[in-house]
Amino acid sequence: MDQSTLALGVEAIGCAAFDAGIKGAFGYPGTPSTEGFEYVEAMIHAAPEGRVAHWAANEKVAYDMAMGVSYAGHRTFVTMKHVGLNVAMDAYANSALTGVRGGLVLLVADDPGMHSSQNEQDSRKLAEFAWLPCLEPSTVQECYDFTWKAFELSEALQVPVMIRLVTRLAHCRAALLRRPILAPTGLGVAPKNTIQDWVLIPSNARRRYLDLLAKQPRLVENLSSMNQLVPGTSRQGVAVAGMGRAYFNQLLLEYPALTALPRLEVAAYPVDPQLEQAFLAQVDDVFVFEEDYPVLEERLGLRGSAKVHGRLDGAVPRTGELTPRQLKNALSLIVSESREAIALDLPVRAPRFCDGCGHVDAYEAMQEALKNVGAPETRVFGDIGCYTLAAQEPMGAIHAVVEMGASISMAVGAAMAGQTPSVAVIGDSTFGHSGLPALLTAADSGVNVTVMILDNRVVGMTGQQVSQALDQVERMVLGMGIPQSQVQTLTPLPKQHDANVKAVESALRHPGPSVLIFRRECIQSMRRGVLKEHDRELKACAEQACCSEPASATSEARP
Amino acid sequence: MSDPRTNSRIHGIVLSGVGGQGVLSLAQILLEALRRSGLHALQSEIHGMSQRGGSVHAMVCFSQVPLTSPIIDEGSADLLIALEPLEALRYVSMLRMDGHLVVSEEPQMSMEAYPPIDDVYAALKAVRGAHLIDTEDLARRLKHKQAGGMALLGMASMFLPVTNEVWFDVIRQRFEAKGVSVTEKNIEAFQAGRGLIPVPA
Repeated sequence: MDQSTLALGVEAIGCAAFDAGIKGAFGYPGTPSTEGFEYVEAMIHAAPEGRVAHWAANEKVAYDMAMGVSYAGHRTFVTMKHVGLNVAMDAYANSALTGVRGGLVLLVADDPGMHSSQNEQDSRKLAEFAWLPCLEPSTVQECYDFTWKAFELSEALQVPVMIRLVTRLAHCRAALLRRPILAPTGLGVAPKNTIQDWVLIPSNARRRYLDLLAKQPRLVENLSSMNQLVPGTSRQGVAVAGMGRAYFNQLLLEYPALTALPRLEVAAYPVDPQLEQAFLAQVDDVFVFEEDYPVLEERLGLRGSAKVHGRLDGAVPRTGELTPRQLKNALSLIVSESREAIALDLPVRAPRFCDGCGHVDAYEAMQEALKNVGAPETRVFGDIGCYTLAAQEPMGAIHAVVEMGASISMAVGAAMAGQTPSVAVIGDSTFGHSGLPALLTAADSGVNVTVMILDNRVVGMTGQQVSQALDQVERMVLGMGIPQSQVQTLTPLPKQHDANVKAVESALRHPGPSVLIFRRECIQSMRRGVLKEHDRELKACAEQACCSEPASATSEARP
Repeated sequence: MSDPRTNSRIHGIVLSGVGGQGVLSLAQILLEALRRSGLHALQSEIHGMSQRGGSVHAMVCFSQVPLTSPIIDEGSADLLIALEPLEALRYVSMLRMDGHLVVSEEPQMSMEAYPPIDDVYAALKAVRGAHLIDTEDLARRLKHKQAGGMALLGMASMFLPVTNEVWFDVIRQRFEAKGVSVTEKNIEAFQAGRGLIPVPA
């Protein structure tokens, strides 16, 4: 055990990407994927040797950057959370047609149970949709080993490979055994005769789509060693994947009689149909344990030869995170005796704004201004970040939170439909992520919309990564076409309350688009001194009146 | 608890508290100490939204045999370590019938509708195997504001198969960057907590 290091599952993937010789790592923060990038970033900063790690403005940008590295012939790694893949989906789906040169591994962290997310979509479905392979580890060591395997597969099959992780494994800490580190070596750009493969005009795309489909049997064949059928004597079987596999393997220790159940262990998709058939031939009933959507369950059910139990027939709850207790219940195992119930109602302790957080001051100014203009009941469009907490009572300041950047476009739509005033609240990083095109449209439309940008200079919620919009929000806003006269920068502090209320009122009364930038650094990042060095340089620069500004660091994140 | 070095049972510890109290940091110390004691150990934690002053919990599982599940079922925890009294009550159902609870009496009331504190204490005292500690008083006596967490760990250590030598090593390693005096303050708090649990007969 002494040879090992302790790491989170998500960190093990980042670590393996480094060890497997990547040239570039990219991503956009979002729980539970963030630490994967941060781990590899720290390793690269400690020993760059030509490697780069960079947070991107959003997931699509990150994925495209990784494609560029791959095109140039190097191994590359890109990370995001499940809903981030929606943003990168255009790039991901089309990269299946171009294929890759240097190995490209995509880490996607799903969030069953929605610990920190707006949905529990299953990334395995998106891999299937794109006709691309997906590996699903069940332990921290597998996180590491599968990532190596993913790079090998990616180069062997010339396709991007997804590693699908879930919150529980992403944030499981355990011992990890590493392999010797590979130096980042390059294959060079693809030979000239393959240039057309990367140019997805219809004539090429049709050919590449056929190539991708023709590749599918090879893909199944290359993955087949990762899935296995363990025979048993019972006519009742189990099919397990991801945490379902981890939980079932542990139950085998506690309930040795379970070894009688034939089991299909799945760690890679697509699964070989012949393996599924061989498994189903051994059983009359199958229990399927997998996280999120009933992916395996539906596949096995469609074959029709055995009764399949899982999320669809209620053997496992239809939604939410899988638990060991759910496996025990489904398999009718005797569970431990329970403690006496606590004779007291336990109210929920919801997350809340930090004491002294500037977002609170900004919202208080907004709410008072809405009252003053006679519109206290106005529905306000919010966005994704710490400031989403304002949706909770008693504040109840925002009334729609859907996805990154939606606040501005929804407010524009509502304004076009006649809502007055129409207000959007968005953070600085979320603004950089996907608020920019929305603001371009807002400026172009000329409708009466008030956009509040809560600029705390960092990606607060995911651990105070530096925002890519750092010190540039005004310029970004002006660049999108909002007139200077309608852009105000305010300081969200209690002593500025009255002035801030007046500023919001004037923006609400203005008949066209206006932007209010509430800027005060996140108190958590202040405490940690995240921007101390940056601000010192900025100050020195201003004093010397030198023309160049200090290079701003990287991005913001999702919750 | 039964000695995990002589059986293959899966042992579990649940830690609970409020975001910012150091639940995850304690869990990491436990994980490292158990691992150094020759056991297979896994830790589970949840990050994100809950860090902003919400309920936080972590689990540590350990055994003689390699484990694959980082979480344990209700009724299976040997030990519950709670940095806050109300947050202890949320996880009592995780305890085995013969499990122990070590809990700080110091409430974090920054939330809507915190129940009357005497009701919370009464409910805690009714839990079999509960050991309460007045961390506020201890912190005052030791002149160490953050003594609570380490004192709870010291109490918990009486129920865990880890030697003092390993505990001190892990604590020293954890705090060494903050200097000798911080490290020794933490060891002092650990020992003060440890002294509160009678040595099992």
